[in-house]
Amino acid sequence: MKNKIILMTMLSAMLSLPAMAQFGNDNIRFNGFVRNYTGVLTNETGELSILQNTLNLNFSSRGDKMAFKVNPYLYHYTDRDLELGLREAYMDMYFNKFDLRVGKQQVIWGKAEGVFITDVVAPKDLREFLLPDFDEIRMGITAFKLNYYFGNSTLEAVWTPVFTPTQMPESGSIWQPRMDFPAPVGFDHSRAEISPSLENSEVYFRFSAMASGFDYELVGGYFWYDDPAMHITRHIDHQTQQLASLTLMPEYHRVSMAGGSISTPVGPFLIRAEGAYYSGRYFQTTNPMVQGAKLEKDNLHYMAGLDYNLWGITLSAQFIQEYILDYEEGMQNDELDNTMTFLAKKDFLREKLWAELFAYIGINHEDALIRPKVTYNFADGFEVLGGANIFLGDKGRFGQYKDNDMLYVKLKYSF
Amino acid sequence: MKKPNVIISVTLLALAICTTSGSMAQPTGQKIMEDVYNLPKGDDMQGELTMTLINRQGEQRLRNLRQYAKDDGDVEKKIMFFLSPADVRGTSFMNWSYTGGRDDDQWIYLPALRRVRRISSDGKGDYFMGSDFTYDDLGERHPDDDNHKLLREETLNGKACYVVESTPKDPDYMYSKTITWVMKENNLGLKREFYDDRGRLLKILEIKQFEKVNGFWTILETEMRNVQNNHTTRMKFTDVQYNQGIPDRQFTERSMTLGE
Repeated sequence: MKNKIILMTMLSAMLSLPAMAQFGNDNIRFNGFVRNYTGVLTNETGELSILQNTLNLNFSSRGDKMAFKVNPYLYHYTDRDLELGLREAYMDMYFNKFDLRVGKQQVIWGKAEGVFITDVVAPKDLREFLLPDFDEIRMGITAFKLNYYFGNSTLEAVWTPVFTPTQMPESGSIWQPRMDFPAPVGFDHSRAEISPSLENSEVYFRFSAMASGFDYELVGGYFWYDDPAMHITRHIDHQTQQLASLTLMPEYHRVSMAGGSISTPVGPFLIRAEGAYYSGRYFQTTNPMVQGAKLEKDNLHYMAGLDYNLWGITLSAQFIQEYILDYEEGMQNDELDNTMTFLAKKDFLREKLWAELFAYIGINHEDALIRPKVTYNFADGFEVLGGANIFLGDKGRFGQYKDNDMLYVKLKYSF
Repeated sequence: MKKPNVIISVTLLALAICTTSGSMAQPTGQKIMEDVYNLPKGDDMQGELTMTLINRQGEQRLRNLRQYAKDDGDVEKKIMFFLSPADVRGTSFMNWSYTGGRDDDQWIYLPALRRVRRISSDGKGDYFMGSDFTYDDLGERHPDDDNHKLLREETLNGKACYVVESTPKDPDYMYSKTITWVMKENNLGLKREFYDDRGRLLKILEIKQFEKVNGFWTILETEMRNVQNNHTTRMKFTDVQYNQGIPDRQFTERSMTLGE
């Protein structure tokens, strides 16, 4: 019923656009795209990994003192329910020195590409792992955002009254993370709800500056960590004294974060760096003496990156490290987790054809995700994209999906 | 996408091939370029540009953008908002260039990424938005970067012109030389030829329409043709205005994200 209402609203809005223009509301802008995304697994099953049709619309209007934007989207699948939603729906109020944005919005921070270090405001939709476009991975949140401007600097404050967690793959999805347990598991979701309240709201701050020669951001926040920690209860068979089963209780925890990022050109290179200190995170442990099988630890997450242009090829490399302080044996995460990313991108035929190779390399587990793709702009606004997702290794963040290698095609028309 | 200010730059390109006339003595090529480089061009400028890209099969692609520029003497700030095609609408690009040869600061805002990103200003030989203009073609090349020689005087399209050859002092520059035709009667350029690093003719720029706007000579229509691959770019400028008092806040992160 809810989907029907949204669908009818979208259709009504589309149909009423010419009428709005006719009656003088022609300052309302309307654009969007339609897209078909078809992917097939290259393993022996040859199954379709995704068959998705997308309609994405943007309605917006801007005046001197205020503006609004509504971004409804529709995902149609052959094997799943129709999905309708609002990626963004907000109003802006403009003042002399500051802006106020209220409503559902995507807030993006940081200088890293493809990884999330200080980019903590927008929760992630990981139902298709890291494969969708990043503007589709980052979810909108209902928030009040205030931006105060002075010179080339901006002070930003975000208050979100409602916590939105990471959206994880559904049970049975090929993108569900691999979880190995020594006994049958059951889930208890009784602590997985964070009720909307003033006490449970989240706050974030950012100071950013675009200076001559370098840009930087200083950020901080007090929020719920988007991924749950599993409080694990072990059930022992009293007759055999053996582990009989486990109860997993997903639980969200408050964290504090402070960090920053910088980018600066050095000769022909562009150097980027980003780092954050997290306090109050929880990590899983296999130590049977630890009640709940989770430990509270602070951790550091940081990145250094380099961009370069060689013979018209855009090259980029990043080294990312995550470090758990006061590390204890038995923790599931490594004390130091190292990842690298590489990007090579070049256009041909006067920006009609783009070839790109992006790769995540997991150093700890010797795994990787390699993503070559070619995009051809068949006509203005219409593109055909062909690519592959190749998972290497057999464990780790990428190697766990070694059976999910896929080829895909996307046809997209922007209007 | 790097190095913007298409309107002013193309205007200067034309002006760069203008000379001071009226003197009976034949000016030197160096003097021509120095005079042109120092011509007044207003404190700020805004306008809209439509680019038509035409390939050898005659297929056309359109690019449309709006641009603002401001020069306070020390820093020249420019910002461009891409209006079409639909898949690049909302993209903005900002460039700050400094007197004294410091590297430019450049940023791009991609609406899909929703954040402003600094980019390297290296790559002046790259083509602007798939056109036949490189970023350097659109920039203000200092006359001291080349050796200039007045080759001859001749009539082109019924106009008496000076013909000036400019050879770069940097042997690694993308062009081995350029030759420009300058109208004597109004000091405006009619044509420029660009030669590749092997000395072969690469591109021809022709000015199709120009007039004075707010007291400043402005190119309103121009065409660049790559003779080696038979690709052509037409540029048409509309709604050009000078000295409208564009505020500094037009050239900030806030402006880039909000759009034109």
